[in-house]
Amino acid sequence: MQKIAIIDDDPDILDASNLVLTSKGYEVIMASNPNDGYKIVKENNPDLIILDVMMNEPDDGFFLAQKLRKENINTPILMYTSVSKSIGMDFGINEMVPVNDFVEKPISPEQLIAKVEKLLRIKVEE
Amino acid sequence: MDKSDKPKVLIVDDEKGLRVGTKRLLELEGYKVDAAENGTEGIALGTKTEYDLAIIDLKMPDIDGIEVLKEIINVYPNTICFIATAYASYETAIESTKIGAYSYIPKPFLPDELLFQLKKGYNRRLLLVESEKWRSERETRLLEVAFEKTRLNTIINSITDGVLVVNKAGEAVLFNPSALKYLQLDVIRIEENIIDKLHPEIALLITKILEDENSNQKSYSAQVDVLTNYELFIEATSSPVPHPDGTLAGVVVVIKNITELKKIEHLKSQFVSMVSHELKAPIAAVYGYLKLFTDGTVKISDEQRQNFIMRSQLRLDSLLKMVNDLLDISRIEMKAVHREIREINLQVVLEGIIELFQLKLKDKDLTVTASYAVKCPSIKADNDEITRLFTNIVSNAIKYNKVGGEINITVKNLDSYNIVEIKDSGIGMRQEEKEKLFQEFFRAKNEYTKNISGTGLGLSIVKRIADSYAGKIEVESEYNNGTLFRVYLPC
Repeated sequence: MQKIAIIDDDPDILDASNLVLTSKGYEVIMASNPNDGYKIVKENNPDLIILDVMMNEPDDGFFLAQKLRKENINTPILMYTSVSKSIGMDFGINEMVPVNDFVEKPISPEQLIAKVEKLLRIKVEE
Repeated sequence: MDKSDKPKVLIVDDEKGLRVGTKRLLELEGYKVDAAENGTEGIALGTKTEYDLAIIDLKMPDIDGIEVLKEIINVYPNTICFIATAYASYETAIESTKIGAYSYIPKPFLPDELLFQLKKGYNRRLLLVESEKWRSERETRLLEVAFEKTRLNTIINSITDGVLVVNKAGEAVLFNPSALKYLQLDVIRIEENIIDKLHPEIALLITKILEDENSNQKSYSAQVDVLTNYELFIEATSSPVPHPDGTLAGVVVVIKNITELKKIEHLKSQFVSMVSHELKAPIAAVYGYLKLFTDGTVKISDEQRQNFIMRSQLRLDSLLKMVNDLLDISRIEMKAVHREIREINLQVVLEGIIELFQLKLKDKDLTVTASYAVKCPSIKADNDEITRLFTNIVSNAIKYNKVGGEINITVKNLDSYNIVEIKDSGIGMRQEEKEKLFQEFFRAKNEYTKNISGTGLGLSIVKRIADSYAGKIEVESEYNNGTLFRVYLPC
């Protein structure tokens, strides 16, 4: 069973995403802040990380992604965003934004599943 | 000179017949004539009023005609003087013209000859007067120009915008102190090539005009952060300076300091993105639940459905509250159109608030103590706003308190301030949380606050209200040990 870590400070988003992913047979682990998020990734070595950009600070998500990459954790990261575009954050995937894909909130279950499956497939192929 | 003016003539002659005869002749011809019967009288008249023309007899019993001539032209150099003499000789003619006579008339003279001479003399007079007028005008204008130049310099040096003028060769021609400041240059030397010393974006504004002589009317402008972090932000506008014939003489650059404007713009866009984030989060959550219901990809139990509906309602409640808070903020910022200023007793306000929170106080088993100054202060303010201010603080003192805790309220006077202290025995704050306390949407996030809801706008409303009454707020707090809010409101 593939393991997915969701890191988001909004409990409702966590629960809804959790429900969607578990119904598809994934094992889900959750954290509601960057510190706990880092811990569950280190401890559980998930196959995919879903990460919210804006938690305590507007770019907490980016920092956590950079930190993981620096430690050579190359698990695919799907980033949840809401208003990052309007703050002028660079949406290009690059060294500063070391994630694999974005999904804009609000998220429909269909869309989420499609993105998750795509990233996991790439991982398997690699 | 007005041409309808009659030419004024002075006749100085001791011979009565000639004097009267000439006067009559000239008056008939349209001259205005005065006559003097000797040299003394001649000098008196000729130096008192300026005559256009004077006919002076050379030989008079009291004073010589040459003397009279000298005296008159000494005062009025433009009076055209004729020396009349019966003893016409080459020498006297030369002498009198040397001294300043326009010409001499041999006596006796024929009327036509006299009139011809006078007419010639009068034309000469007109020319002299005209040229004198021009000369004096030119002198005044030169003075004015010199004055204008210093004045212009003073003005240019005094304006707060930077001004820099560059000639076609890219050399500095004129600048003011503000230009130095905004261009971050220690010195500009006149006629030095300035373009390379300028910020590239400003240099480009100048070269664009210098390199394109045809676009004479175009101006260019650019906003440049000369110093980063909103220390110095300028807007430079370059315009061509034309020669009188329309060809390009140079470029003038006007530099405005727009730092404050940019700061406000930045704050505004930060605020807008924070607001959108905060508004979007509950929408995304509720949308997520609704999608779960409608999407059909996921099976949900009745119990789950009930739970999600309830949670959606909570999110929408807080969304509604947030929108109301935002409206309040904007109302306060607009200086409250509906503000009703009247005498408010702080004790009455605070007791009212405590009464309102009775239920919540009981829920958490909180004890409230209050002490009011003997002469309890009242202030002139809008009752709703002051009530809102203290409601928000008391509400926090309840929300962030521990079960069985205390709230102490003290109201006192100090100098020209009323001081209200609201102290709780709650969870307190860490230093870094305290610093962000009044920021919009800031909410301390730790193990205690996980289950406390709020919009993150309550205290920023408190601060805005206090500010709008020229008051201030102090906060003392210790993590895990309680918080004290001290509100100063001017009496």
